[in-house]
Parts: sequence; C-alpha cells; structure tokens
Amino acid sequence: MQTSLSNPNAVYWYPSNHPSVLQPTNSRGPGFIMLVPIFTLKLNHKINPRMVSVGRYDGVHPCLTAATQAGKVFIHNPHSRSQRVSAQRLVQSSQDSDVSLLNINQNVSCLTAGVFDPRVGYDSLIVGTQTNLLAYDVHNNSDLFYKEIVDGANAVVLGSLGDITSPLAVIGGNCALQGFDCSGNDLFWTVTGDNVRSLALCDFDGDEKKELLVGSEDFDIRVFKEDEIVAEMSETETITALCPMYGSRFGYALSNGTVGVYDRTARYWRIKSKNLAMSIHAFDLNSDGVCELITGWSNGKIDARSDRTGEVIFKDNFCSSVAGVVEGDYRMDGKTQLICCSIDGEVRGYLPTSQEAAGSLMDTSVEQELVRELSQKKQNLLLELKNYQENSKQAESRISQSETDGQMGVIPANTQLQTALSVSLGSETQNAHVELSISTSNDTIIRAVLIFAEGIFEGESHVVHPSTQHLSGLVRVPISPPKDVPVDLHIKAFVGYKSSVQFHVFELTRQLPRFSMYVLSNPSSAPETSSYVTFTTSERLQRVVLWLNQNFLLPEDAEIQNAPFQISFTSLRDGGTLLLSMKASGEISLRTDDMDLAGDIIQSLASFLAIEDLAVEADFPKYFDQLRKVLVQVDESHSVHQKLTADMADQSNLIRSMLVQAEDARLMRDMKNMKKRYNELYDLNRDLINRYKIRCNNHAELLNNLKCVNQAIQRAGRLRVGKPKVQVITACRDAIRSNNINALFRIMRVGATPS
Amino acid sequence: MELQLHRMDYLQVAVTSQKTMKLLPASGRRATQKVVVGDQDGVVTCFGIKKNEAVPVFKTLPGQKIARLELGGALGTVQEKIFVAAGSEVRGFTKRGKPFLSFETNLTESIRAMHISGSDLFLCASYIYNHYCDCKDQHYFLSGDKISDVLCLPVERLERITPVLACQDRVLRVLQGSSLMYEVDVPGPPSILALNNGNGGESGEELLYGTSDGKIGLIHIAMNTPIPKWEIPNEKKRGGILCIDSFDIIGDGVKDMLIGRDDGTVEVYGYDSANEPVLQYDHSLTESITSIQGGCVGKDGYDEIVLSTYSGWVTGLTTEPIHKEAGPGQELKMSQDMQNKIASLRSELEQLQFKVLQERDRYQHSSQSVTAVSAVPVFSINDKFTLNQDDASYSLILEVQMAIDNVLIQSDVPVDLLDVDKNSAVVSFSGCDNEPNGNFLLATYRCQANTTRLELKIRSIEGQYGTLQAYITPRIQPKTCQVRQYQIKPLSLHQRAHAIDQNRPMNTVSLTGQFSFSDMHSWVVFCLPEVPEKTPVGENVTFYFKNTFLETQLECTYRKGEGLFKSDNISTISILKDVLSKEATKRKINLNISYDINEESVGHTLKLIHPKLEYQLLLAKKVQLIDALKELQVHEGNTDFLIPEYRSILEEAEKLQEEYKKQPAHLERLYGMITDLFIDKFKFKGTNVKTKVPLLLEILDNYEQDALMAFFETAQ
Repeated sequence: MQTSLSNPNAVYWYPSNHPSVLQPTNSRGPGFIMLVPIFTLKLNHKINPRMVSVGRYDGVHPCLTAATQAGKVFIHNPHSRSQRVSAQRLVQSSQDSDVSLLNINQNVSCLTAGVFDPRVGYDSLIVGTQTNLLAYDVHNNSDLFYKEIVDGANAVVLGSLGDITSPLAVIGGNCALQGFDCSGNDLFWTVTGDNVRSLALCDFDGDEKKELLVGSEDFDIRVFKEDEIVAEMSETETITALCPMYGSRFGYALSNGTVGVYDRTARYWRIKSKNLAMSIHAFDLNSDGVCELITGWSNGKIDARSDRTGEVIFKDNFCSSVAGVVEGDYRMDGKTQLICCSIDGEVRGYLPTSQEAAGSLMDTSVEQELVRELSQKKQNLLLELKNYQENSKQAESRISQSETDGQMGVIPANTQLQTALSVSLGSETQNAHVELSISTSNDTIIRAVLIFAEGIFEGESHVVHPSTQHLSGLVRVPISPPKDVPVDLHIKAFVGYKSSVQFHVFELTRQLPRFSMYVLSNPSSAPETSSYVTFTTSERLQRVVLWLNQNFLLPEDAEIQNAPFQISFTSLRDGGTLLLSMKASGEISLRTDDMDLAGDIIQSLASFLAIEDLAVEADFPKYFDQLRKVLVQVDESHSVHQKLTADMADQSNLIRSMLVQAEDARLMRDMKNMKKRYNELYDLNRDLINRYKIRCNNHAELLNNLKCVNQAIQRAGRLRVGKPKVQVITACRDAIRSNNINALFRIMRVGATPS
Repeated sequence: MELQLHRMDYLQVAVTSQKTMKLLPASGRRATQKVVVGDQDGVVTCFGIKKNEAVPVFKTLPGQKIARLELGGALGTVQEKIFVAAGSEVRGFTKRGKPFLSFETNLTESIRAMHISGSDLFLCASYIYNHYCDCKDQHYFLSGDKISDVLCLPVERLERITPVLACQDRVLRVLQGSSLMYEVDVPGPPSILALNNGNGGESGEELLYGTSDGKIGLIHIAMNTPIPKWEIPNEKKRGGILCIDSFDIIGDGVKDMLIGRDDGTVEVYGYDSANEPVLQYDHSLTESITSIQGGCVGKDGYDEIVLSTYSGWVTGLTTEPIHKEAGPGQELKMSQDMQNKIASLRSELEQLQFKVLQERDRYQHSSQSVTAVSAVPVFSINDKFTLNQDDASYSLILEVQMAIDNVLIQSDVPVDLLDVDKNSAVVSFSGCDNEPNGNFLLATYRCQANTTRLELKIRSIEGQYGTLQAYITPRIQPKTCQVRQYQIKPLSLHQRAHAIDQNRPMNTVSLTGQFSFSDMHSWVVFCLPEVPEKTPVGENVTFYFKNTFLETQLECTYRKGEGLFKSDNISTISILKDVLSKEATKRKINLNISYDINEESVGHTLKLIHPKLEYQLLLAKKVQLIDALKELQVHEGNTDFLIPEYRSILEEAEKLQEEYKKQPAHLERLYGMITDLFIDKFKFKGTNVKTKVPLLLEILDNYEQDALMAFFETAQ
C-alpha cells in the first residue's frame, strides 16, 4: 500500500508554513534604530575571520587582538604607548606604534583572550593552530604553556565549565574536545561525532553552571554537561559559530548562511541569507536589557536582530567581509561598545542607544514605514479579494462555454494533488532510492515540482521540470537522503494545462521517515552477519512496533502481536542488511555491520521509548579489525614522526655549518668552493623540503587515523544511552591512554565495567 | 548646497505604466497642486493633499489599462485638461473629472505612446505613428522598429510641427508630415523623450532622451541636422531611464533635471557653468519609477519631487524637513495625525480581513463541486531581458506588484547564472538530469519578505541557443505562478550597431534559394537579438551588429531569395551557416550556401582579442601577487625595497581586486572563443582539429601573441 494524503482542503489552503521558518526577513522591526559608529579605526593589517578578541592584558587597557596573515597575531593597544622591548615573540610593528605583532610561525586557527589564571587579575591570550596550543601572558611577554595538540584546535573557548573550579581553555579539534587549565593540565577530554567547528559556554539547563556547546561538521550541536552529552540538536549544515545569549538561550550560525537562536533544544527563530554569517555575538544594542544577536556577514553587512523574533533592529555596512564582532570598553569611559572588524582591518565601535533616546528614535520615518507596511497588507488583501471576484465571474461565464482555457490556467476546482512515498529498488541506470510520486486527480498536468527540504539535496531545493513532450499528471521524484534523519518535504507543484502560462501552485508537506533508505526484505534470505547489538527493555512489544511503523517506510503498517518476531531490511545505500529481532523476554537484538546505523537506531528507539539509561552488549568484528589496524598505524606514524623530527634537527645543523663554510669561502674569495658549498646547500634545502612534504603526509595520515579512533569511541558511546554512554567514552579514553588495546575492545563490546 | 529630501507616501493605486502621472497646475489661491494618475485597471485618480491625507477629487470607473496620461489645453492657456490613452482610445477629462472627449482611433493595436499639443494629437502603436488634428487623421508613418515614445517640439515657439519618435533600434526619427526628415543615432535603445528645460531650451529644439540601458543625452534637433550636446554614460550600472522632468528643486533659479529609473533610483542633476549636467542628489526606492514630476503637493511653500512607482505608489520626496524647528508641541500634533492614519488603516484592514476570510471559505467550498472551476486572474509582471554591453551578459529583471515568494529559473541551453549584489534572495541550484527532460539549468530563488523586484544575471555562449523560462510565484492567495520565456539566440552576444568598419578583412556567407523576404527575416530574427519582429518595408534591408564581447562585427543584407552575411569573425559566420541551414531544412526550403573565407580575418580577430587577453592575464597575475606583497610589506614595514612595478601593484591593490571580481570567468570565456575560432577556421577547410585543442590550450596558458598566431597558421 502506498500511503497517500488527499485532503481536498489541504490542497489550496496549506498554511503557509513552508520553509518560512527559514524565511529570510529583511523587514525592519518597529524598534529599528539608527546608530553611527562612535569610533572608526583603519588598522593596516588583514584580519582572519572569526579570530578576533579583546583582552585586558595588563588588567586595565583593552586591546583588540586578532590573527593576521603569515602566522601572526596583532595586538592593538591604543591606550598605553608602550616602551616594551622586542622579545622572542612580541615584535613592535614598524608600521604603526599602536600595534604589536606576535609571531606564531604557523597558521593560526583560533584565538581568544580572557581571564585564565584568576590569581593574576589580568587576561591571557590563547592561540590555537593545527598542531599546537599556546597560552600566552602578553603583559609579561612569556608563555604560560605551549602544548602539542595532535587533534588540532579548530575552535577555542575560555571560561569555567560545570563543576571544574579553574577556568578552562577548551579546544575542539578532529572529533575531540580537550580542556586545559592555566598550568597546562589536561582536565577535560571527550569525543564528539565529527570535526569541531565552533564552541560556546552557556548555562543550558539553568543550574547556574556552564555547559559546553559544540558545533561540528556532522551538522549537530551537542551539549556537554562536563563530559556527558545532555542534548543533541540536528541542524542542516556545518555549525560555524555559536554564542551564548542569556540564560539558556544561544545563537548559532551555519555554513549555508543560516543564523538563528535556540532556547535549550527548541529553535526560536532562524533566517537564511545568501551570504555567510562570519561572526555572531550577543549584545544589548538598544538598551532594553535583553541582548540582541549581532551578525557579521561575508558581504560586509552587520545586523542586530531581536532575540525573540529575529527582526532587524539595526544594520550597517562594511566595504569588505566582516571578520569578527566583539565587545569591550575601548574608549575607557566605562561604557561597553560593540566592536566590529572587517577582514581588511577596518574597526568600528558602536555605543548602545541611551535609554532616553530610545523613545524619540521612533521618529516619523518609522511611522512612515509602518504606514507603508499596512498599506501593502491592504493592497494584498484587496488583490486577493479581486482574485476571488474574478474567479467567481469566470466560473459563471464559463458554464456556458464549458471549455478549458489553457492560457489563464483554469482548472477544475476539485482538482486534488496526491502524493505517495515508496521505496524503489532502482534499475541499471538509477541507484535504489526513495520515490515520491505526485499526481493530479484529473486531466490537469504538473508543469514542475519544487521541493524545499533541508539536508537532503545539494542546495535547499530540488526541481523536477519535465520537457514539454513528457508532461503528464504524474511526476516521480527520486530522493536519496544521505543521512538517516527525518525530513520535512515542502512540495510546490505547478498545476495547469499544457498551454498554460499561469499555473495553480499546490503546496503541501510530507515527512520522510528517519530510516526511509531501508527496504523490507525477507529475514530468511538475508545473509548472516556476525556483528550485533543486544539489549533488554521492559517495554511492550506494541510500542516497538509503533516505532517501527513511524520510522521506516513499510509497504503496510506492520501488525505484529506476539514476540518473538524478526524483521529484516536492506539498505538502499550499500545493500547491507539490518536484522531486528525481539524475544519474548524483551531482549532486542540488532544485526548489522554498520555501527553508525546501530547507534542511530538505538538513539531513536531510546528517545521514542523514553529510556534514560541503556547498557548494551555489542560486537562488530569487522569494524574492530579495521580499528585494530588503524591503531597500529597510529603507532607507526608516531614513530615515523619522531624519526623525521630527529632527521630534521640533524639536517638543520648541517645547513648551519654548510652556510658558515660557504660564507667563509666567499670571504676568502674562494669562489669555486663557495659555489660548491652553495650548490650543496641548495640540494640539502631541496631534500629538506621533500622531507617536509613527507612529514606533512605522515601528519595528515596520523590525523586521519586519530579521527577514526575518536569516531570509534564516539560510535561505541552512541550504542548506549545515558550513564553507560559516558562511562564507555571515559573508559575508552583511559584504555587508549594506557595503550591497552584489548581493554579498549572489551569496553566497546560489553561497556565499562562498573568500578 | 546639499539637497535633503524626505520621503512621503501619499496613495497607492493599481500598477502603473510609464508616464501616467502628472501634477495639475496650481489654480486659484492655493499653491499646492493636485496629482492625477492613471493605472492599469483603467482608473484615473485625481487627489490633493490636506493635512498629510490624500483627499480625492475624482476617480473614474475601471476600464482598459492606461498606457499614457498627458495634460493639454489650447495653446497659450493653462494646460489642465487630462488626456489618457487606453487601448486604442483616447479620453479627455476636465480637472474636475468631467469627461469631454472620447476618441476611438482607427488603430488596430493598443496605443503605446501619446503626445498632445493644442489640438494636435500624436499617437503611436508598436510600429505605427499617427498624427491627428481635432481628431482628424493628418499624417501617418511606419517605423522600422518598435516605437517607445513620441514627442513634438514646441509648436508655439517654432511655428512648425516636428514630431520625434524614439525607436528601439537606437534611433530617434525626426519627421515632417508623413515623411522622415532624418534619423539621429543614440547610444542605446531610447525609452523616453523630454523637452530640455520643459520647453526645449533656448532654441526650443533641445531634446532630452533616456535609454533603457541607463544613458541620458541632450540633442539639438535643428532644421536640417542634429547636434549632440552632451551624454551621461551609465557608469554606476544603474537601471534604465523611465521618466525625465525638469524642475528647480535645488532652488537656485535654474531648472534641474529629474530622472527616474527602472531600478528605483531617483536622480537630480544640476548644471555646472559649462551647462554640463552634474549629479546633485540620488535616492533609492525598491521598484521602478514610472513617472516623475517636480512641484508642490504636500505642503504650501515646500517644493517636492512627486513620483509614481510600478506597484502604484504615489510618493513625494519633499524639501519639507521632518523635524520642524518649531516647538515640541507641533511635532506631537504631527504624530497625532499619523496615529489617526494608522488607526484608520488598521480598522480598514480588519474589515478587509474578515471579508477575505469569507471569500476564502466560499472558494474552498467550491473545491467540493464537480462543475466549478478555479480561475485566478493573470497578474501583471514587468520584465526586462537585456544584454549588458560592458560585460557581455544578460540581465533579467522581474517586477511584480505583490511580493515575490519564489522564482524558478529553467533553461534548455547551458547558461551560467551569476550573482548580483542587489539580489538578496536565497538561490539554490538543483541537479539537472538533462537526458529525458532537456534541462541545463534549474535554480530556485527564494525571496526575502517584501521583495517585489528581482534582478538576475545570465551568461550565454554564442552558438548555443534555446529558451530560458522563469516561473514567478507571488506571495498571494490563491497561489499561482506565471511563466515567462526568454529566447537565447544563437548570436546572443551581438548588439545592433549604426555602422561598421568596412576596411576589416571580412568573411562572407551567402544564401540563395526559393525563400521569401519574410522567411529570411524570420531567420535573422531567430539568430540575432534586437531585430524587429515585423518584416521591414521595402525590397531589401541591411542590419549592422557588433559582438559586445570581442567587438567583431556583422553585416546582414537580404532580400527575397538572397541573403548575404559578412563578418570579420569566422565563428560568427560558422554559427550563422549552421543555424540557417538547419532552419531552412526545417521548413523544407532548399538553400544554396556558399562562403568565402578570408584567411586574414583570423589573424585580425586574434589581434582584436590580444589586448583583452593580455590585460586579463596581467590582471590575474597582479591579483595573485597582492597577498604575498602585502605580507612582505607587513614584514618589512615599508615598500621602499620593492621595484616600482610591485609598489604600484600594492598601491592599486583594491582597484585591481575590484576589477578582477567584476569579471569572473572572463579569461575562460576568451579561451573558449579562441578555441571556437580555431575549430571554425579549420572546419571551413574541411579538417577537424578537435584533437589539437589541448595543444592550443597549452599555448594559451603560456600566452604569447606570436606563438598563438603561428599555431593558427601552422596547425593542420
């Protein structure tokens, strides 16, 4: 049976909630304010996007700090014209005296400043690169610590986390999160699903303690209460920025131009632009006591949006892309300004409107705006009314003619649109896919179908536009969701006749179940797999069956009355099998080689059945074998790395001596020898470059493998729910630390042994 | 003096056409003027402003859509009679709204342009010009291309009737009686004519014109010959000109030029000591400005610019300051007015909403019935699909009265959609399975709330032709969408020219066969843009074109049974040959095609490309260096150590980057055209050199003019 939806009224009057949740709104809110920057600076340095911070490195003077080209960080300090001498890292810029440059000698990947050591009373600077983390005391021009970070540092956040007393610098790298205190002690470690791209600290559950928000490349925002995941929100793209607003509210930005606000796990609003949000920040710009979400865009626009509605209350433009939005008392007058920087080094500061001014700012232009808006609404209603009048006029005049006029797109009023979802096993030319078929109920044709859905198409939409010869009342749309997530399909179908220039637009929404890419197969014919997960639940069988019906595209609703039962699916993606069985004792077992799928099913089932803690027994022999190989490779890479580093040290010594010899020869006017030495030097240099390339490759391989390991731990965690999950992750980490590979696999199989 | 204007919205009517709003001359004691506007519902609305409120004077019943609205009256008296052109009819109203004239012309088409002078009436349909005196037919003229506007030089000053037609083929045609006196070449397709200073300037023969590609010029239409005075190019790439007026808004005693464009820009030009126009003020609205006039409407003593927009807004840009210097009490009162206005609007809205809900129910109910039909009236779309001369791309502008919800763009030819800064819609490209459905481009634009105008840019490739379709869905219930089609012609990058350089080495292709003049013409229309659809009068015709990208040229001359095409670009000839023979075969007409290839022309075309290619390569190289040089600069602290060439790159860095960004894929396009040239050259010789193309690309990557020339010479 094909599930179909045919509600005559839903046909036209589908409430207009199509991706309007994602509506780009540029409508100015009633509280729109005009602000002029109170200061503008033109720094002669480029600013790397998202790497801007303000720190009081002597405890008093705020300094704008940002990463710039060529592995440098600049510190703009307009307040204390320093007499600092150049030391190892910090160099006074020769261009302008306000700026000092800090040489990192590697590409900076993240940066922040803040109170790291509460005892000293001033801010420290933290700079992360792909391999290292530097905590730096700018005031004393000394390192707090300098750590090698194998997983890299894509994002960094500084602050207190949960019950850990000292402030932590938490960095996110390849699937791993690590937190250091000011002496460089590693106090926090956990893994997450994919490469971390953004971090924020926010009191998510209102317990006065900060939780860690992690945005990663697998489109998920995860909330860590110390090392336990308390919430997971699936988004539609890589999360590029997160910022706490107030309370449990936080803002986020995605790499497809979406910006929005969450309150705990519920999304308040979001908007989408064709530009990218480079930086987001919470700041109270209109002095109403509530922070607005300030967004800096890639086209140079800055806007402030109300945290409740997303309405724009302020905007301004830079000539080039915005690099960062921060705040600070940059004029040292006791008032905090919003500071926006562009990638070309332009800096503007905005002061919030004062309370008194706020009233009179509702000037006539705003009223004019309101009148215009109301008139527009009126006009729209009038037009709609006209549409109905014309429609009934047409209807009357048409009875006599009783012919269908193609041009205007006149269609029978009882035209209905039917949709059905089914699984297609594909053919030689087409891979197996989920098929959405859309058809009209009479002789009208479907000119085109637009489907807006997030995360399953290349862009946000998919279009089917048959050529004129192939027009009919039925359109089949192949859909292959890349991930197992439930998706809302917002369908718009243009219905009319072949010669129409105007079509009726039918709008409706269908939901694609989470596991739609798995087709029911015969349990007996399914190849046996040795991988399995088993667990026991006290839930009634019917509830499990209900979950099955809701989450899979079954040809007809499964009606299973009694345990034990067995049901088997084949994946449309790789043809792998999934065998799900339940015994009378309540023991459920999953057989599949895909550990991710097993994790997804357990998470989905657990949330459906409201299971808080779930321990499982699992074995994935194939996957574990692979992992074992990876672990061996990691060891190899480590030793190669050490050897190469030693080689490099030797060679640089050689270069030094060679250079001295060459220069000696030059001074002695022994040109022949000099030439020879320099030639040798050239060869050596080339050699060094080659080795550097080898080192790079080795490092890339190492990173990849480490990512695999981290992901394995994450996957092992996802097979469990609640406490057992946290325990497994911590135990795995310990096992890796102590290099006890057998213990690692044991933990993955049976869970952490309660100690 | 800097001009400060404040926007005041007065009233909204239905969609308006170009030149359909006028201010009636002030009468009696009152200094404020009344506004009269005609819309596409056929309604003429006349209103005045009292206390910021629009007070209607009269309003006519709906009818055919109004294409033009002009004021007239006996010569020498106050021009306060209202004339509107709707369909093929001209109607007249007194300033109180009393109809006094209803003149049904014998035109078969709708009137597109109208001018009135005393008892003389000048009307234009698509190609036809008619002159009536006291509603009696006087003169007649058939234009070679579509007429967009008509004007007559002031009769009372010159004592002769000199009508001027603005024609699509970039020509102003100056008439005398029924015959053409002379033609004036203008730099773009003219869209509007106006008398300089409102009266034709000192001589009464000075004429302002605006073009649909955004240029403005002044021409002295002397008795025997035109004298061009000045021309304002469209450097900022703003929209096309829709309306011009002369009014002293700055208040310096000299009339300024007011300009309204189709991208919503309003401009005020003053004149410098040399009588050259200087931009004094500009303001941006979000939709086309269809009419503009200076006057005093809102408040006695404050001049303003009154304009009407496509969606029917009548808006003033007034010199009246918003914040009065008077006491705060007065300001409070003003906002009281405003509040009343808002309150009444709100209650009106509520009533409407109720009514709409009722109707919605009824409509829904009808969906149960078997016999009922759903017919939603066609909404009007203002669209423009034009070739931009400077970057050889097409721009598609769509404007709808309602907010646009989404637009689907579909094409059956490979074209590139480019990003437009002004366009804030979220674009999404959908995968195309071009096998069964023939789609090469499928893209959706989801618009921001309140977007009524959308601008897109499209890059086409010559030789690849087909149709681009846009499905526009506005945000209104019941939801409908309308499709618009745009032809991408085989020689899509060509533009009409007034003349060509006859000294260039030319290749020719000539056709003979049993075909009629109109057959041949329809093929030319099929191949080339900017050719009138109507078959020209006479026995033969010659059109000149130039390629906007390469600046090569094309001459088409044809008559019954014979066609001759000459171009210095071999690729152009090759495309024409292919398309024409295909079209003729389609109609089963036997064609004899012969061609004459001039070997020199290839070298000549390469020489034309050379400076462009060299410039682009150099630009790319320079831009590549910028970042590295900047880093050096930061490192060393200054630029003294650099050679002057590098120093100048650093100085011009921003300009270079800007330019580089402006011309995406320029180099690739040039490469593509050189490759085409290469293939076409040998195609005419009967050899297929496709296998040598990688070799050619290699040479292009290390470009040197001589090497390339040599390769073209020697490859075989």
